[in-house]
Amino acid sequence: MTLTQDEISAVVLSIKVATWATLLSCPFAIAIGWVLARKKFPGKPIVDALIHLPLVLPPVVPGYLLLLLFGNQGVIGHWLNELGISFMFNWKGAALASAVMSFPLIVRSVRLSMSLIDPRLEGAASTLGAAPLAVFFSVTLPLALPGIFAGLILGFSRCLGEFGATITFVGNIAGETRTLPLAIYTASHVPDGDAEALRLIVLSIVISLSALFFSDLLTRRVEGHLGLRATDA
Amino acid sequence: MLDLDIHIRLKRGSFDGEMAVHITEPVSGVFGHSGSGKTTLLHCIAGLVKPDSGLMSLNGETLFDTEKGLFVPAHQRHIGLVFQDAQLFPHLSVRNNLLYGYQRLKPGQRRFELDPVVELLEIGPLLERRPGQLSGGEKQRVALGRALLYSPQLLLFDEPLAALDDRLKKQILPFLRRVRDVGIPMLYISHSMDEILYLTDTVTLVEHGRILAHGRYLDVLGQADSSELVDGLDLRNVWEVTLLENNHEQGYSVAALGQERLILPPASAVVGEVAIVSVRAAQIALSRKRIEGITIQNQLPGKILRIIHRRHGALVEIDVGVVVVAEVNGKTVEDLNLCKGDKVYCLIKAQSLDYPES
Repeated sequence: MTLTQDEISAVVLSIKVATWATLLSCPFAIAIGWVLARKKFPGKPIVDALIHLPLVLPPVVPGYLLLLLFGNQGVIGHWLNELGISFMFNWKGAALASAVMSFPLIVRSVRLSMSLIDPRLEGAASTLGAAPLAVFFSVTLPLALPGIFAGLILGFSRCLGEFGATITFVGNIAGETRTLPLAIYTASHVPDGDAEALRLIVLSIVISLSALFFSDLLTRRVEGHLGLRATDA
Repeated sequence: MLDLDIHIRLKRGSFDGEMAVHITEPVSGVFGHSGSGKTTLLHCIAGLVKPDSGLMSLNGETLFDTEKGLFVPAHQRHIGLVFQDAQLFPHLSVRNNLLYGYQRLKPGQRRFELDPVVELLEIGPLLERRPGQLSGGEKQRVALGRALLYSPQLLLFDEPLAALDDRLKKQILPFLRRVRDVGIPMLYISHSMDEILYLTDTVTLVEHGRILAHGRYLDVLGQADSSELVDGLDLRNVWEVTLLENNHEQGYSVAALGQERLILPPASAVVGEVAIVSVRAAQIALSRKRIEGITIQNQLPGKILRIIHRRHGALVEIDVGVVVVAEVNGKTVEDLNLCKGDKVYCLIKAQSLDYPES
């Protein structure tokens, strides 16, 4: 199977966008996952719902909202433009759209793995002189790590499949914002594009299957990890 | 040695606690049923739970004061806590668990070093293992070591034996005594008076979120007699004895208890060693005279220190060189006209004595 330059570019762009989107989400997802797992505060259900919104909304909606916020005339975009940062019609915008769409998936995974950690373990750490930040980095984070990894893989896969928000926010520009799904969509609209679409579909399946396989491996590690904790109690 | 002053109020759901107690004894127990608030009290002392209002101070340092808006968080209190289920960090080796608190101390604050603690608790072979590979008893010993190596100014125990079966309990008890004897003040929570009496004779009674009484257990039992907590509570004498003779052929051992000789069931300890023996207070009979021609071999002469009348029966405290507590029914006290200062013999069948550590 030989690939054209455009196809290779779509694959590379997809992986680049998904990687940056996942890396961008990671610290925020860990922080928010921790807050949701461990903290009680007024308005928590609202925060929770807002974070999950991209998961349940038609992807076009977050894409359009991003356009309003980060477009060149947008509330934030206008301000960023003056700093020389633009998300419009480039891969950074595609990464931002993917990050927003995959964020709830990563948060859910982080939150689940953190809420499964016995709070008394953290209590034990603090009675041994560990300040809250030290407790987080020496106990909570290492124990949640398998769950965080699984969440990142899940988020990465979601980024690979991102379509609606991306095309709404940054359009469909070859080499800039045309990721795999957008390339398949484009090919399917071109006369004689079936062969290309098929090649891209095969590629998509291969990449997604690899990500899933990886995720499964990590999930099993989480289960092993929890099994250890179960015999601990 | 220890000066712990507590005056706190705390409401959580249906639990409404108001606890005030001043503890100055270096080692004491907290006794109460589950749900009585004793674990909450312990977590408040450790700083893991913030009471709604009140005051708390340890050795002159204020830990909590709502009027001044002061709350010292757990990690700044230097109070160790041994949990019921050890709570070892599953992702760290036993060695790194032990060193977790130790590494956070300045060298000048370290009262204990790894090697002696490992030796004290006999956990040397476990050092490189993960907590998941340890038995319940081993975990609890590692948890003890971890707390000890943090050199706390007070060590709290939250029912450390409750999750263990009887056989394991017996294995851990000697280590608890060893930790007690290194001189760290201890507060030991349990719903088993036996465990507490094994370590100390000072106890705080907690019931329905209130402190019923605090002091030497006999005083406390007298004070709180009407409560269902102590009603019918089975008391034990726990003595340290020195083994004088092991006669395995005829199935007995002899040990020195104060100035007296005590006939015991065969001991596993070696002659010259100290052993712990215990006997239920209700299994000790009292007699005005030494009785001849009877199978009860131990007849220890002593003087009655006091008599505590309870709703059901009476506790008689007798000085035989060590203190012996016998539980008899109220009628016996009347019939024999037992009074403080009277000379009596404590009759103890050898077979009623047992070894809580083996």
